[in-house]
Amino acid sequence: MMTDIALALSPLAVVGIGGLLLMLAEALFPRGGQLALGAVTILLAGAAFGAVVWMVGPESLDDVATLAPWLIVDRFTIFFDILLCAGGALAALLAGGYMPEHRIERGEFYALILFSTFGAMMLAAAGDALTLFLGLETMSIGAYSMTAFRRASPRSAEGALKYFLLGSFAAAVLLYGFALLYGATGHTDLAGIGAAAKTGAARNPLLVLGAALVLVGIVFKVSAVPFHAWTPDAYEGAPTPGTTFMAVAVKAGAFAMLLRVLLVAFGSDVWTSWASGWPPMVATLAALTMTVANLIAGRQESVKRMLAYSSIAHAGYALVGVTAMMRDPVKGGGSVLFYLVAYTVSTAGAFGALILCGSRGREAVSYEDLSGLGRRHPAAALAFSVFLVSLAGIPPTAGFFAKWLVFRSAIDEGLYALAILAFVNSVIGAYYYLRVLVYMYMREPAAGAPVAVPMRSGYVSTALVVSALLVLGLGLAPTSYVDMAVQAAKLGAG
Amino acid sequence: MIPVEHYVTLSSLLFIIGGVGFLVRRNVLVTLMSIEVMLNAVNLALVAFNRARPWHAIGQTYAGGSHTGQVFAFFIIAAEAAEVAVGLAIVLALYRLRRTVRSDEADLLKN
Repeated sequence: MMTDIALALSPLAVVGIGGLLLMLAEALFPRGGQLALGAVTILLAGAAFGAVVWMVGPESLDDVATLAPWLIVDRFTIFFDILLCAGGALAALLAGGYMPEHRIERGEFYALILFSTFGAMMLAAAGDALTLFLGLETMSIGAYSMTAFRRASPRSAEGALKYFLLGSFAAAVLLYGFALLYGATGHTDLAGIGAAAKTGAARNPLLVLGAALVLVGIVFKVSAVPFHAWTPDAYEGAPTPGTTFMAVAVKAGAFAMLLRVLLVAFGSDVWTSWASGWPPMVATLAALTMTVANLIAGRQESVKRMLAYSSIAHAGYALVGVTAMMRDPVKGGGSVLFYLVAYTVSTAGAFGALILCGSRGREAVSYEDLSGLGRRHPAAALAFSVFLVSLAGIPPTAGFFAKWLVFRSAIDEGLYALAILAFVNSVIGAYYYLRVLVYMYMREPAAGAPVAVPMRSGYVSTALVVSALLVLGLGLAPTSYVDMAVQAAKLGAG
Repeated sequence: MIPVEHYVTLSSLLFIIGGVGFLVRRNVLVTLMSIEVMLNAVNLALVAFNRARPWHAIGQTYAGGSHTGQVFAFFIIAAEAAEVAVGLAIVLALYRLRRTVRSDEADLLKN
């Protein structure tokens, strides 16, 4: 029935149509605060529709299969719809406080967040190379524009340029990979590629080259080392709410694409075996990403740039979970999905706290800017501490439990070396997160040095409170969320 | 009829030329052109594969050959036009602020 299809597509429709309406509303209400509220409302509505579809059960909806292979509405898709809408809503809340404070208030930013979230949701639903490409472009074009949003800042333009050039290059590589796969199998839909790749054709050079190019294109978007060069520059150049959006929603969308492609197109035994498939490649990427990003993050003087490298390192931990999908896609995939949820709330909170610590004319950037904050502004320092502790993976936070799940699924698969490396890395990572705490609570600003004064904003405070509650909630009572993640990861079984 | 291998060879050469151009050239406008060359290589490969092997994709019920590759090429052309519009706007913004379109002179962001 049509109503079933309408319900299945409702999260996507709410966000897409909401974005168009918000652009109209911008002409009527030029005040940014209202637009921020509007964007948050639309995204929360998208998440609510996603929750309804989850409870009804997308598999029980009639005729949803007729949308395949273009859009696949299953629990995996709905899980990402909710996650992406929540991440986008947090970024929009932060923008509602940050943009007026730093006088770059223009309504387009909120429309960009909505359209980019729409693209990421489409990416998570895509079951065909065509819709995957369109979702990827919709998501990326919005993210490029957000990076370039501070038009008076050469850093913003430079970060956007690097992001744009490497992003387009990655898209071209991805597309050429899909073109080769089309030549080798006659299919652009992932399921068709998967079926054709299963029947002993794994030694077809066209197929292998195509698969390699597709994976390289995707890990560019995931920003795994050695394809990460754009990430710190784009994250540093972008206005901080834009950075938050990229670190949260764009990364989750890229992981959705990676998981769907690996599980559906390359999920057969030939491709998932250690000897002939993708696991060694993904394991190498995971090891490189964690190690290199953590070592560089420790040397940063800018907290924003440190958080950028930290987001690369977290992609590395999630890739450990992706490697663990090789024999048990449900358990490994479930750990990756839960990791993404924990990473989303912790990272959005950390960037939000960094936003809160600065005010007009003086953004908090370096470690010194934060010194003595624990005494001057205890609330801001406490919020920052919660998110850093979660990012470092210390109990009782979401970050700890997520890391534990990922490492355990790696150990269950017999990936001992990778699990040990991941553990060593999370210890190294704790160094630079706790360094922020040391500055906040144990250092005083140098005499006469300009100190960052925290801003006052209901939007930012709300975002921080919500993220902090989620970080603690996911850490203390994770069971039901882990169940959801595991249910969502069951797409490969179908 | 020209065999599909010729098209694919041409397409892979174009892709390599575009990729090398992207990696070695420092003028952003030339870099953008290199990306366009790579995308045209993709389009050529898709169209040639489609013409050589008009298979049916899963779920297609109508009679006649499949045109997936041809249609895909149209989508790529349209989406890339949008992407390049944003890209040129970024290049313009950078030029206004720094008076340069060379990517090696855009060096404010470093570790």
